[in-house]
Amino acid sequence: MGVKVVHRHGDTLKEKMYLPAIFAGMKVTLSHFTKNISNINDMQDVCYPEQMPSDITPRYRGVHRLTKRADDSIACVACFMCATACPAECINIVATLREDNIDEKMPQKFEIDLLECIFCGYCVEACPCDAIRMDSGIFSIIERERKDFIYDKEKLLSIKGAFGSENSHAK
Amino acid sequence: MHELLILTPFILTLLFSLATVPLLVWMERRIAALIQDRYGPNRCHVGGIRLAGIIQSIADMMKLVFKEEVAPSHIKNRFYYLVAPSLIFIASFLTFMVIPYADNLELNGTSYVMQALPTDLGILWFIAFAGLSVYGIIIGGWASHSKYAILGSLRASAQVISYEVSMGLAIVSLLLTYNSIHLNDIVTYQSQTFFGFIPAWGIIMQPLATLIFVITSFAETNRAPFDAAEGESEIVAGYHTEYGAMKFGLFFVAEYIAMAASGALMVTLFFGGYQLPWLTTQDLITHFDILSGVIIGFGLIFMFLFLRWMRRNNSYNEKSKRETKIYAVTIVLFSLSLFSLIAYSIYAGYSDDQKHIGVMLIQFSIFAAKIFTLHFIYIWVRWTFPRFRYDQTQKLGWNILLPLAILNIVITAIVIIGVN
Repeated sequence: MGVKVVHRHGDTLKEKMYLPAIFAGMKVTLSHFTKNISNINDMQDVCYPEQMPSDITPRYRGVHRLTKRADDSIACVACFMCATACPAECINIVATLREDNIDEKMPQKFEIDLLECIFCGYCVEACPCDAIRMDSGIFSIIERERKDFIYDKEKLLSIKGAFGSENSHAK
Repeated sequence: MHELLILTPFILTLLFSLATVPLLVWMERRIAALIQDRYGPNRCHVGGIRLAGIIQSIADMMKLVFKEEVAPSHIKNRFYYLVAPSLIFIASFLTFMVIPYADNLELNGTSYVMQALPTDLGILWFIAFAGLSVYGIIIGGWASHSKYAILGSLRASAQVISYEVSMGLAIVSLLLTYNSIHLNDIVTYQSQTFFGFIPAWGIIMQPLATLIFVITSFAETNRAPFDAAEGESEIVAGYHTEYGAMKFGLFFVAEYIAMAASGALMVTLFFGGYQLPWLTTQDLITHFDILSGVIIGFGLIFMFLFLRWMRRNNSYNEKSKRETKIYAVTIVLFSLSLFSLIAYSIYAGYSDDQKHIGVMLIQFSIFAAKIFTLHFIYIWVRWTFPRFRYDQTQKLGWNILLPLAILNIVITAIVIIGVN
C-alpha cells in the first residue's frame, strides 16, 4: 500500500499574504452581485408563497398519511411498530379488533402530533404493511390552534399521495 | 440663515448616523441577497409602493420600538443592564461629531465650520469615543449575567483593545504625513497633487496605513469577518443575547452607526473627504457655472439610465408596473424641476453667496457618495468572508498588523526626513 501525500495549501508566499485570496473571493461575490443587479429577471429563485417549489420528489418527507388497501379499507394493522420506532414519541395508537374479516387488528385511534414530529421517516421504515407513508408532498402545515396539529386517523386517511394514483395504495 | 448654517452639520450628523440606519439595513439585506442569488426583502409595501424594500426596514424598526420591554428575572444589576445599550449607542453616535462634511464656508466675512463640534481634538476625539463604545459591550455582557453574553463581551473587548493598538499606530503614521490632527486640515491637504497629476489622497500617500486602518476598523466595529463576539454558532448572539425589544435595537443601531462613523473617518483620512480629485474648493467656486452644467448633463444621463434599468428590473408582479410608473413620474418631475432651477440660475448668474452654498451642497453629496461606496464595501466584505476564529483574530492583530504598523511609521519618518 502506497502512502498518498495530500498537498497542504497555505505554504507559498502568495497564500501567506492572504490578500490575493481575499481579493479573488471579493471578485466572485461582486460578479454575482453585478450579474443579478443588471438583470434580476434571470435569477434562479422561487418567490416562495406565490410560487411553489416544483422539485419535490417522491423521497421527500412531507406530512404523513395512512394508506388504504385495494378495497379501500385501512391498511394499518395496529402493530405499534411505528410508535416504537418513533424517536419523538409523537404517534399515539389505540388498537381494536377488526370485525370485517380482512385482518385481525386495526387502529381505533391513530394520532400523530405534528408539533412533536421531527419528520425523520423512521415510522415509514418500520411499517411492515406499508400503511404509513410520507409521500403527501405537503411541506407546510398550517393550523389555527395547537390541538389542530394532532392529526387523527380520519385526517391521515384523507391525505392523498402526491405522486400518482398507481402509488397510492398499500403494497 | 446664520442659525441654519450653524445647525447644518448637526442635521447632517443625524442624517448620516441615525437616518441612514434603516437604509443601511436595507442595503445589507438586499446586497447580501443579490450576492447569494436571492431577491431579499421585496414584499412589504404602503399602498403598493415598496421603495425596493426600504419599507421593510422601517417596519422592522417600528416593530422593535413598539415591542414589549422584557428583562430576564435573573438580572441583578438592572441599572448596568439598561445603561449598556445607551452607552454604546451614545459612544458610536458621538464619534461622528468631528467629521467635516464640507470645507469651511466663508459667508459675509463669517466662517462656518462644517463639523458638528468645532473642536481642536479632531481625530483624537474619534479614537476616544470609538474606544469607549467597547465599554457598552463589556457592561452589557457582564450585566446580562449569562455565559454567552460574558463570553461574547470578553471576545469583543479583547479584540477591540488589541486592534486599537495597530489602529493608533496607523494613525500616527498618517499624522506624520498630514502634520495635523484637524480633520479639515487633513482633507485640505488631500486636495493637493504631487508630481502634478496624482491626487495626494491618503490611499496613495499611505497605502500600508490604509490597509491596516481598514482592517482594524472592521475589527473595531465588530463586523464580519471579525464578528466572533456574536458568533451565533457557538455563543448564540454574544453580548446582546439577553436583550430584547429596543434595548437590542440600540445595540443593532449602534453597530451600524459605528460602521457609518468609521466609514466617514476612512473617507476623510484616505479618500479625500469631501473633495473631488484634482479640484480644490476654490476651483469649484470659480468654475461653478461649468460645474452646474456638468451636474445637469450627468443628472440627465443618470436619470435615463436609472429609468431604463427600473423598467426592466422592477418586474416582481403585475402590480409593480403601476409602481414603476409612479416612481418614473416622481423621478422625472423632481429631477426636471431641479435641473431647470439650476439652468435658470446659470442663466440669471450666481451671486457669490450662492456659489459658496452651492459648492457646500456639492461637497455634501460627494461626501455622501463616498461614504455609501464605503458602506457597500463593508457589506460586500461581510458577505464574502467567513468569520475568523478567535485565535486567528488575535494572531492577525498582534503578529502581523502591529509590526506592519510600526514598520510603516519608521518608513514614513525616514521618507519625511529625506524629503525635507
